[in-house]
Amino acid sequence: MFQEFVQQIVNGLVLGSTYALIALGLTMIYGILGIVNWAHSELYMLGAFVGVFLVVHLKLPFLLGLVLAMLVMALFGMAMDLLVFRPLRSAPEMNMIIGTLGISIFLVQAAVIVFSPNPVRFPTEFSDAYLSFMGISITLQRLMVFCVTLVLIALLNYIIKYTTVGKAMRACEQNRDAAKLMGIDINRISLITCAIGAALAAAAGTLVGPIFLVSPQMGLAAISKVFAVVILGGMGNVPGAIWAAFILGLAESLTAGFISSYYKDVVTFCILITVLIIKPAGLFGRSQIEKV
Amino acid sequence: MLKIRDLSVHYGKIKAVRQIDMDIAQGEIVSLIGANGAGKSTTLRALSGLVKAAGGSVEFEGKDITGWNAKSIVEAGISHCPEGRQIFPRMTVMENLELGAYTRKDTKNLSVEYDRIFEYFPVLAQRRSQMGGTLSGGEQQMLAIGRALMSKPKLLLLDEPSLGLAPLLVEKIFEIIQNINREGMTVLLIEQNAWQALNIANRGYVMETGSVAVTGAASELLHNDHVRRAYLGE
Ligand SMILES: Nc1ncnc2c1ncn2[C@@H]1O[C@H](COP(=O)(O)OP(=O)(O)OP(=O)(O)O)[C@@H](O)[C@H]1O
Ligand SMILES: [Mg+2]
Repeated sequence: MFQEFVQQIVNGLVLGSTYALIALGLTMIYGILGIVNWAHSELYMLGAFVGVFLVVHLKLPFLLGLVLAMLVMALFGMAMDLLVFRPLRSAPEMNMIIGTLGISIFLVQAAVIVFSPNPVRFPTEFSDAYLSFMGISITLQRLMVFCVTLVLIALLNYIIKYTTVGKAMRACEQNRDAAKLMGIDINRISLITCAIGAALAAAAGTLVGPIFLVSPQMGLAAISKVFAVVILGGMGNVPGAIWAAFILGLAESLTAGFISSYYKDVVTFCILITVLIIKPAGLFGRSQIEKV
Repeated sequence: MLKIRDLSVHYGKIKAVRQIDMDIAQGEIVSLIGANGAGKSTTLRALSGLVKAAGGSVEFEGKDITGWNAKSIVEAGISHCPEGRQIFPRMTVMENLELGAYTRKDTKNLSVEYDRIFEYFPVLAQRRSQMGGTLSGGEQQMLAIGRALMSKPKLLLLDEPSLGLAPLLVEKIFEIIQNINREGMTVLLIEQNAWQALNIANRGYVMETGSVAVTGAASELLHNDHVRRAYLGE
């Protein structure tokens, strides 16, 4: 019973890490660019495939492959901003929604053609290594998902809080016109935001690809949960997204472990709906106290 | 210093500013007054690059800055303190001020500006690590002016700095605008409070439905019949 509990906690933390890494980019892109990016979880899917290519085919060490996959997808995120977001930014909202849905469909189908629709395995040097204590054994890969996620969150927190770019990002999120008046180049900040968001999604893909399987549909499978996380955390709210990701991740895996895995999605969306009824701005949403 | 010719700004079909001319000389305070919706803020937004002009030209210190983006205009030396304060609510007072200096390369010398701003507005020094959104309206206005000064501008654009403030505070803000001007800053001031605005200004412009209706020395405007009737409540 205790072992089962710890096992589900570990699973929940892995799941929460995945949700957090994907949701961070989604919520930042919403907050700073004002765009709801339906294609965001495809960056997670592509990141996983890039990881497979680097680690399985090129036989790079896993952590090096992870960093490179993040860099490759950061460039991809920047291209997405330049080619799709920027031209659509001044267009009506519906064009943007259709635009990002379009990218999602395009990327999934492109992945089916390029990588085949069948799931592929992503073995790494950590897949078969176990850490055992008190009769509980955890693969190093799972442990690493959580640890790397914590490192990335700490890094992101540092960037946002203390660097000039991070302050400029917050300025754009809080008041775009005022940010322009400070001389902040909004296009540059958008580009950086997309790069960071895509890199984090790629990190999620490369980290959990070895635990589950890598397939063109993995992004589609994750997107509704990730949206739940972003909404629960309060749209555009970075710390909110992190907390919400771990809350949902843990709730989901504990439900799957102790009730039934049929109910895990039910629990997720029950939490979401309950929170939205009680606190429409999200669990960590900002109430309207700001004086303007 | 600033030379505006034939400037027009449109929002879709709305012609908010129609072919206005305006000049500001080094060291002046120029007041821009007019009723709600006359196009005052829009004029300022065009000057600072927040909206694109539909026509006309703007020249600053001999350079044609028409169509420049907001960043280049700040770098050229124009700082815009917008209507409604527009401070960053979830950043501290210090972070707000720091962002005001975003375009500055000499980030080592910022303490000169901090000292000057805290001298004008001692309450900001006390509140330095408080979030902007938790300040009172008057404090937020002080922060907005301070933030605009951080870029070390040559020309300061102030959009209704006295809006919504208690009379005593309005007095103080006007005093500080005069102080800043005495230290060499050129100021373009938008105000609803026409009497006070003209009192501290060298010259004034009166805007009505997008055009300049009257212009002249501030003292003349204070005695102009039309201005007295329409804006000074006589
Ligand atoms: N973003 C916008 N989109 C469409 N119309 C706008 C926009 N901003 C202003 N306008 C219109 O342009 C005209 C001029 O507005 P502006 O804000 O420049 O007036 P103002 O003189 O600053 O008024 P106030 O004293 O109320 O601040 C108004 O008719 C206003 O409704
Ligand atoms: Mg106005």
